[in-house]
Amino acid sequence: MLDEIEQLKQQILSDIERLSDPHELENFRIRYLARKGRIAQLFDRLKEVSPSERPTVGKALNELRALSQVKYDEKKRSIEAQKSETEVALDLTLPGRRGWVGSKHPVTQTWEQIRGVFVGMGFNIATGPEIEDDYHNFEAVNFPPDHPARDMQDTFFITDKILLRTHTTPVQIRVMESQQPPIRVIIPGRCYRNEAVSARAFCVFHQVEGLFVDVGVTFAELKGTLVAFARQIFGSDIGVRFRASYFPFTEPSAEMDISCTICGGKGCRVCKFLGWTEILGAGMVDPNLYRNVGYDEEKYTGYAFGMGIERIAQLLYGVDDIRLYFENDVRFLSQF
Amino acid sequence: MKVSLKWLKKYVDVNVPIEELASRLTLAGLEVESVENLGQKYEKFLVAEVLEVKSHPNADKLAVCSVNTGKETLSIVCGAPNVAPGQKVPIALVGATVPRDQHDPEGRPFTLGKALIRGVESSGMICSEFELGLGSDAQGIMVLDQDAPIGMPLARYLGLDDVVLEIAVTPNRPDCLSHIGIAREVAALFGLKVKKPAIRLTESSGRTVAWASVEILDLENCPRYSARVIHDVRVEPSPKWLQDQLRAVGVRAVNNVVDITNFVLLELGHPLHAFDYDRLEGKRIVVRKAKEGEHFVTLDGRGRSLTSETLMICDAVRPVAIAGVMGGANTEISDSTRNILIESAYFSPRSIRRTSKRLGVSTDASQRFERGADPNITIAALNRCAQLVQEVCGGVVLKGVIDIYPNKILPKKVSLRFSRVNEILGTAISPKKVSTILTSLELSPMKVAPSKSPKRVLIQVPTFRPDIEREIDLIEEVARIYGYENIETKMGTALKFASQPVPESLGDRCREMLIARGYRELVTNSLQKKSVASLSGQEVVEVQNPTSEDMAALRTSLIPGMLEVIRHNIYHGTEDLRLFEIGNIFRCAKAGERGRYFPGYLEQEVLGLAVTGRATPPGWEGKSREIDIYDLKGDIEVLLGKIFLDKIKSIYYSTTNTLTELSVAIEINGSCVGFFGKISSSLRKLFDIERDVLAAELSLDVLRSVPRRKITFESLPKYPPVSRDLAFVVDERTPVGEVEKAIRDSGGDLLKGIQLFDLYKGDQIPAGKKSCAFSLEFISLQRTLTDEEIDKTTRRIVEHVKRALGAELRG
Repeated sequence: MLDEIEQLKQQILSDIERLSDPHELENFRIRYLARKGRIAQLFDRLKEVSPSERPTVGKALNELRALSQVKYDEKKRSIEAQKSETEVALDLTLPGRRGWVGSKHPVTQTWEQIRGVFVGMGFNIATGPEIEDDYHNFEAVNFPPDHPARDMQDTFFITDKILLRTHTTPVQIRVMESQQPPIRVIIPGRCYRNEAVSARAFCVFHQVEGLFVDVGVTFAELKGTLVAFARQIFGSDIGVRFRASYFPFTEPSAEMDISCTICGGKGCRVCKFLGWTEILGAGMVDPNLYRNVGYDEEKYTGYAFGMGIERIAQLLYGVDDIRLYFENDVRFLSQF
Repeated sequence: MKVSLKWLKKYVDVNVPIEELASRLTLAGLEVESVENLGQKYEKFLVAEVLEVKSHPNADKLAVCSVNTGKETLSIVCGAPNVAPGQKVPIALVGATVPRDQHDPEGRPFTLGKALIRGVESSGMICSEFELGLGSDAQGIMVLDQDAPIGMPLARYLGLDDVVLEIAVTPNRPDCLSHIGIAREVAALFGLKVKKPAIRLTESSGRTVAWASVEILDLENCPRYSARVIHDVRVEPSPKWLQDQLRAVGVRAVNNVVDITNFVLLELGHPLHAFDYDRLEGKRIVVRKAKEGEHFVTLDGRGRSLTSETLMICDAVRPVAIAGVMGGANTEISDSTRNILIESAYFSPRSIRRTSKRLGVSTDASQRFERGADPNITIAALNRCAQLVQEVCGGVVLKGVIDIYPNKILPKKVSLRFSRVNEILGTAISPKKVSTILTSLELSPMKVAPSKSPKRVLIQVPTFRPDIEREIDLIEEVARIYGYENIETKMGTALKFASQPVPESLGDRCREMLIARGYRELVTNSLQKKSVASLSGQEVVEVQNPTSEDMAALRTSLIPGMLEVIRHNIYHGTEDLRLFEIGNIFRCAKAGERGRYFPGYLEQEVLGLAVTGRATPPGWEGKSREIDIYDLKGDIEVLLGKIFLDKIKSIYYSTTNTLTELSVAIEINGSCVGFFGKISSSLRKLFDIERDVLAAELSLDVLRSVPRRKITFESLPKYPPVSRDLAFVVDERTPVGEVEKAIRDSGGDLLKGIQLFDLYKGDQIPAGKKSCAFSLEFISLQRTLTDEEIDKTTRRIVEHVKRALGAELRG
């Protein structure tokens, strides 16, 4: 019996070497390993073996069965591997089915970045109308009638007293008219300026305004907030400086420059060789605004700031012509 | 405002590198926009002498000149008619950059090379005023005075070895529109003293009041009028120093009298005007309003029509100047002028601004008056002017001034609390430092009872600072001079987080969905042609003063703007477009309507969609079909489903509007949200688009008002779903929705899903009929469903659909 087992083992080992396709493999399995295969037949005959030899023979048979199974599994894997190598059908260079690709306008992307920074600092969001009145757009934010500061913002009028807002500042008044401090909001929105259209100016643009009014708000904190903002948007290596300036609705007023994102401050054509580029206007809320909304100007102080979204986008992405934002050429949109 | 560094240094002894000066001024609010070094600009330009002029052998209009530069003799070909031997002329050497090219329509600079001109070599160029950028005369070469030293660098000879700062002065700082004003700022910033020009004047014995009189009929708009009369003036070109000084800051020399008034304007900031005294009727000045419709010719030769609001300077019978804006041609200084009257007045900013706006004229004078001149400088300016006229034009200055100033404008007194400075700025600046800063700006603390620790100080504000009226204005001055860069950068002293959670934005949600479905976001101009804005049939809001007809009205719909974008992109080669925009649209209110902010105007935020071209991107498996209305409807359904979590019922019905044909209205919970449809062919034609365009417009304002279900989690079913397919044959005119409704009505609680998976018309079913095949899904939350239960429900559904719609079950 042991001889027979040894003989079968040799036969199995030599047979398995010759197998080359799944069909032969299956025949092998049926012949040797199946329920009625040659190994099973030997097991059936185990009862004929004398009880003293039975453990030895049983052990040999078990070993044979295990060995055959291992050899079979190995062969099966190698045949399957060969099969997928020979079945070349998959062309990896064929383009995948992609579907249409959408895109978010760069003005929106930039707004979302700005919003992300200020919402993270605890600012809420407020909005107001694009058709405004002279009172909210000018008078209440400290542009008296016949004041030269009105020349800073060329205006589209609907009637003598109704106009297209030239900035988002009127929403400061609308917010303060409707609630008491503390106020901490950012105000996004579309604004209009009656200027000749060029690469640098368009009649429509977008602003983000910020307003923080509470007890004990200082210019130092305005600086801190805006420096943090600039670093989050442009990276922590960016240089920031504040210059004195003039806006009717803030006193003291400031403009914030960052070191030129193109040349890093060494001076280039984009920054007019100055190394700095202006990104926003800011200042402490002028007490006249508090008076206009009925706040206690002694008790509360606050700061406000405003920036052009297209301007920030220009610095982030290098877009050199503001008209591209409004033309919506797909070759432009698909870059963002 | 152009500031000459040489000129500035006459009043303040500032000796820092120019970069530092520019930077300090900029940080203090006087933004230096450019720094021009004139010496560098004229680096290869010299004074030279023309030795000989010979005709050019090959050209009638050209001459060949020998020119002595002091070092060598150059041969230069010149085309100017006025070139002559013995002249002193400005020449550009080979390698010089000539500021303006007179043959270039834009006058761009060019670099001079050695050239062969019609066969004759030319090693340089004799320049005209135009080419040097010093004037408009391009007819002939500039001829210099005979005593001009040969070989001297031109910049030095013309006094242009100077640096010019271009400063952007903000509208609140009229005092900085002069060299003295800038000097005052520089002195404060660098701790220096301002040296004011010394005024020395010799008056004659004749009394001014005997020769002229002044009457102000409108004291509100002209609070002060001062004047002097000067006899025996020689009007001629200004001496070189005066011309040079003006030229450096870009002001053209006219004649000595006018140049002196300009000089005083740029020195002290106060506008003056000189009249030809002998042409003043009645030797009188009357300040009054113009008559309505009165005609007047200004210095520039232009006729202007006046209104009864225009403040005029008149003589005894007629207007002679538009007050504070521009003088008249009738009393202009000319070569024959002998005697002059000099005006030094103060006009109210409001009056001058209105006149300047109405006439569309802005002059150096009007810019200063409308921002606020100094009412108390009129005499000093007048005397400075008289002094210079005497020195330069040799006049006899009459004794005394005429000065009509009945209601004196006194310096304001503003109180400042030292503590408030630090409360606003977040600093710890000492009272002493605050006082020092203010004093440096001539904002002098008034004498108060001495105290060891003063709490406040009273400041006298000079009348040249109309911008300072309140404590906060003084705090700004302290901050400016202290330096914004020296204020600490703090954060979070009062950091409070939003009182309510920032609500999720509906616009964001839509954007996210649509971009995921392959739409591109647009941002288009909300100003359009009126005819385009009218396409929607709405009442258009028009702009009173548009820049052009193309931007004269506000959009009433996003769709026309999106069609414009489609046209643009098709022109540029992209024909498959899936676009959306979120933005405001505007219209006038109809009877019975009221806008949210202004009764007459309605402004609402909408979402626009527009699609055209193929339904799927071109691939390698065959042609893609054209996008159609069911694609757009599907996108809208997914969008609304995502916003309203499928629980809110939307109803679609056909509607009409002027933009689309085959259009469908969308109603949610009884509110009309918007519509979608196919852009009408006439509209497509207008935008030159051939292929079909499908578009939709949904009101985000209405969508926001529809109550939205809060997301609350539902546990997942524990038991498996069972599905059954049923195909019904119905009349082809029966809407699929009715079949679906009949199924739903009879399906009971177990029926959870209905999906149409086939729609068929053709040979296998009777004519006039269609087959709609649905896959139904049944789920129970309590148990595994049995075949018997499902069969029973299915039979009930079939019976109901047959009965309700006369349908047949397809075998």
